[in-house]
Amino acid sequence: MSSLLIEAVAVAAKDLRTEFRTRVALNALGLFALTVLAAVSYTVGPYRITAEDRPFLLAVLLWIVIFFAALAGLDRSFVKEEESHTAPLLRLAASPMAVWLGKLGFNLVLIYLLMVILVPLYCILMGYTIQLIGGFVLILVSGGFALAVITTIVAAIIARALTRGALFSVLSLPLLLPLLIFLIQGTAGAADGTSETVTNALRAVLSMGGIMTIVSAMLFPVVWTD
Amino acid sequence: MRVSEALKWLLFVWLAAVIVAAFFYVRPAEGFIGESSRIVFFHVPMAWIAVLAFLVSCITSVMYLRRRDPKDDIHASVSAGLGLLFAVLATTTGAVFARIMWNAYWNWDPRQTSITILLLIYAAYLALRGAIDDPERRASLSAVYAILAFVTVPFLVFVVPRIYWSLHPDTIINTRGSNEFDSRYTQVLMASLVGFTGLYVWLYTIGCRIEAIRQRRRQEVL
Repeated sequence: MSSLLIEAVAVAAKDLRTEFRTRVALNALGLFALTVLAAVSYTVGPYRITAEDRPFLLAVLLWIVIFFAALAGLDRSFVKEEESHTAPLLRLAASPMAVWLGKLGFNLVLIYLLMVILVPLYCILMGYTIQLIGGFVLILVSGGFALAVITTIVAAIIARALTRGALFSVLSLPLLLPLLIFLIQGTAGAADGTSETVTNALRAVLSMGGIMTIVSAMLFPVVWTD
Repeated sequence: MRVSEALKWLLFVWLAAVIVAAFFYVRPAEGFIGESSRIVFFHVPMAWIAVLAFLVSCITSVMYLRRRDPKDDIHASVSAGLGLLFAVLATTTGAVFARIMWNAYWNWDPRQTSITILLLIYAAYLALRGAIDDPERRASLSAVYAILAFVTVPFLVFVVPRIYWSLHPDTIINTRGSNEFDSRYTQVLMASLVGFTGLYVWLYTIGCRIEAIRQRRRQEVL
């Protein structure tokens, strides 16, 4: 068990090191998010939406920015292995489980990094006030986790197909849409202070993330070795 | 061959009888505008087939990953193609009904949301199949995607409608008060479900045979 974790950490560390050298995924995620944020902030701004619509509509915009930024960059984890022809070597060097855990860790770091920068900036620029900060953070953390789990396995699938860029969004979105609905509900609940909505959404997000984790762990070896 | 020929004719007569019964045997249900309630005999079986085809696709995908038999992959892809067709039909009939009852073809009712996502899943599955050249890799990767997508279905069917309020009539119409829907509705709806399931099985076997012939031809050419 411990050797598996050491292997997984090694894979994630390798990915992070090469990522900070080239910054392809970071640039894709970060710049996409910042550009869209600038566009949304410029066109909608803090005062365009009426007070009673704010909790819900601003939650919608926030999650759309996060989801599309994730779709712009999170496929790099596997696509870069295929593009630089390092995938066969990685297959020899690490067990499939360790590769999956490492890549998941890498995607988690990217998505949380994005959230840490984007979310406070979004709240400031859009004037988004959150009543239940704790619930909001829990929604963000669990949502980021489920998002990373789903995008990791889809990235592993599309890395082995021919048309990668377009296929990543096409395959991810149907799996992510239910998640998006729950996260928007939960965030809106956290913003206007109804804790019941937050707990309901958290339950749905956590169960979906959990199931996806188990199914991905079972199916990943097939995707990786075939 | 004789038996299948007879079954084909039986299916033809059965579905014809269902269509006639849907328009002449039952009266329009109360609480629905005009004759709109009759669409239930076509809409519900189509939605049922769309989900059934998805289930078959998922089961055959699991079987493929276990046995690595190319036939299972053919079954999964044929069933997904039929599922897409029936999902489109269910969406269209649902939109027609929504227009008559609620004066809008589309209002993102939870049922409409879930059928849309089902449509997207089918389309994504077929897009993935189109993007991989190697047959074995295509089979295993699309099997993995079918299973992943199937896992999200319970959330669409059970969780999303609970979070949102729905205009959609009860999914099992005849469990609530026998006055509103008489027994004739149940009879025709059940007959229609059986007929449509037969239609699905028939199309499915034809599709599998065509696909098997196509693959054999391709091997002969190579």
